[in-house]
Amino acid sequence: MKFLSRFYIGLILFFLYAPVLVMIVFSFNSSSSVWVFEEFSTKWYLGLLSDSTMLTALKHTLIIAVLSALISTVLGTAAAVGIMAIRNKLANRLIMGATNIPMMNADIVTGISLMLLFIFIGKLFGMTESLGFATVLIAHITFNLPYVILSVMPKLKQTDANLHEAALDLGCTPVKAFFKVILPSISTGIMTGMIMAFTLSLDDFVISYFTCGHYQTLPIIIYNMTKKSVTPDTYALSTLIFIVIFVLLIFYNMISSKNEAKTTKRRV
Amino acid sequence: MQKENIVELKDISVAFDNETVLDNLNLQIKDKEFITLLGPSGCGKTTTLRLIAGFLEPNNGDVVFEGKKINGVPAFKRQVNTIFQRYALFPYLNVYENVAFGLRVKKMREAEIKEKVTEMLKLVNLSGFEKRSIDTLSGGQQQRVAIARAIANHPKVLLLDEPLAALDLKLRKDMQKELKKIQQQLGITFIFVTHDQEEALTMSDRVVVMDGGKIQQVGTPQDIYNEPKNAFVADFIGESNIVDGVMLKDYYVEFSGSKFECLDKGFSPNEAVDVVVRPEDVDIVPIEQGMLTGIVTSVSFLGVHYEIIVDIGGFKWMIQTTDEHFVDDKVGLYIEPDAIHIMKKSEYSGLYGDYSSYSEEHDLLSEPLEVEE
Repeated sequence: MKFLSRFYIGLILFFLYAPVLVMIVFSFNSSSSVWVFEEFSTKWYLGLLSDSTMLTALKHTLIIAVLSALISTVLGTAAAVGIMAIRNKLANRLIMGATNIPMMNADIVTGISLMLLFIFIGKLFGMTESLGFATVLIAHITFNLPYVILSVMPKLKQTDANLHEAALDLGCTPVKAFFKVILPSISTGIMTGMIMAFTLSLDDFVISYFTCGHYQTLPIIIYNMTKKSVTPDTYALSTLIFIVIFVLLIFYNMISSKNEAKTTKRRV
Repeated sequence: MQKENIVELKDISVAFDNETVLDNLNLQIKDKEFITLLGPSGCGKTTTLRLIAGFLEPNNGDVVFEGKKINGVPAFKRQVNTIFQRYALFPYLNVYENVAFGLRVKKMREAEIKEKVTEMLKLVNLSGFEKRSIDTLSGGQQQRVAIARAIANHPKVLLLDEPLAALDLKLRKDMQKELKKIQQQLGITFIFVTHDQEEALTMSDRVVVMDGGKIQQVGTPQDIYNEPKNAFVADFIGESNIVDGVMLKDYYVEFSGSKFECLDKGFSPNEAVDVVVRPEDVDIVPIEQGMLTGIVTSVSFLGVHYEIIVDIGGFKWMIQTTDEHFVDDKVGLYIEPDAIHIMKKSEYSGLYGDYSSYSEEHDLLSEPLEVEE
């Protein structure tokens, strides 16, 4: 029985990761064949470095990911604090529902609707080319927000409501009390939210596709590359993205598990 | 000894979502006194405290501090400090930093802070705990840190919101003494909130008994216990037998079918009243000598004394005595004139003071830790 369950898990993991493994292996193949591994080579990786479109796209992706993660973290944290302060249960639930829509909604719907909105507003101001850096950034912030709110919210709920009052009582202004007392208590939630937002932004394709205009990000470049022919430099690039996200996820899990250990310890 | 009022509450009303929490409340708190707000959960005692702390604004009425109206003054500008029910210590700061918190906000010099924190930790018997993290402290120690943190700021008034509710009985008793000692040593006003009547009686200079958002009675612990104003106060403070009576004339009252001498006067002839007799003031005597007679329906041994329930004409009396009696014994009761206390009829008449459902009532005495809005 035990053997069977292990075998089953092994099978699941194999099917989950086999494609990625194959991709990683062939990204080091010296020929562009997808069935014969000729010899080990890093030429596709080096090729990426000299590909200027690729590098620009990478730069775009990183700028968008960093900025959207930072902005959505600030906005999301503020929103979570605000939502927590709403005493009316119905209003609270409605607002949470509305916040979750970008998360639950199909990416394609979010993408197309945002694109329409941006173009519409652009036309209002008489712009011919409204899609670009600003729009893709706004789009990313939009879909990142609920994830930040959802990771900050539970931390806020765990925080003793009296802590804020205690700080006020000891002479802090409300703003100072927030930074001195509430922020340290919810910092792990903020960190996990930010990493989450960064990861999501990094590999988003659908929404970026509709909102980026000429400000193309990596996933879009990769997609365009595959339209012509799939070459091993795509594998190399995907491998790199996979590794970055993998590392981020490990970070994310480390923060949340450390945090969990702390709270259980406190409860004991 | 004439003392100034440090805090005054004038015609205060508070409502949450149209539900009245405080109803036209008036209270004067004198400088340097230990005053306790006592009442069951939901009586408005914590709300009163929050008004003074500045976490809540009244819908109506004024909060006055040292003669000045402080409505609208935010909490961080008020010269009061609070000790919260669950201490609300900052979990990511160590003991030293917790106590130093208020001093750092005031931008005091490091050397002064160190001196102050050391002094405060000494006062609460926590010297040597400076570097400890809050997680590693017991409930009682956390409580002491909370006290040190609050009084390090030299508040003129210290507000304590059921600070001992989470401690076990023995520790609670020790802390009661210690708090009283600290209050006398520092000479600051303590406003203490509790639902524990014994705690209120032991510690306070004055007790404010509250129910339903109203003050039922204000007085010294002795006043409250010996001269309760209505059936609610009589029942909430200690045990009471409360029966319907008629004041025939001054110093003469009739209840349970007999006439008694008493020490009360000033009622109109034949006025209907509530009569309170404390269980420890009733003597059990042979039937012939009894002013009232009844049948013992239950006996429980509590160590110091027996608690005996006696049925007198359908009304169950509680009597505390050191003599043993048995269920179904016929006994006589003897009541001295000074054991009888007469109260005017109130909305609480008839609600309390009958021990027919006694066993259930016992469970209610061990109220769990509650949080009030």
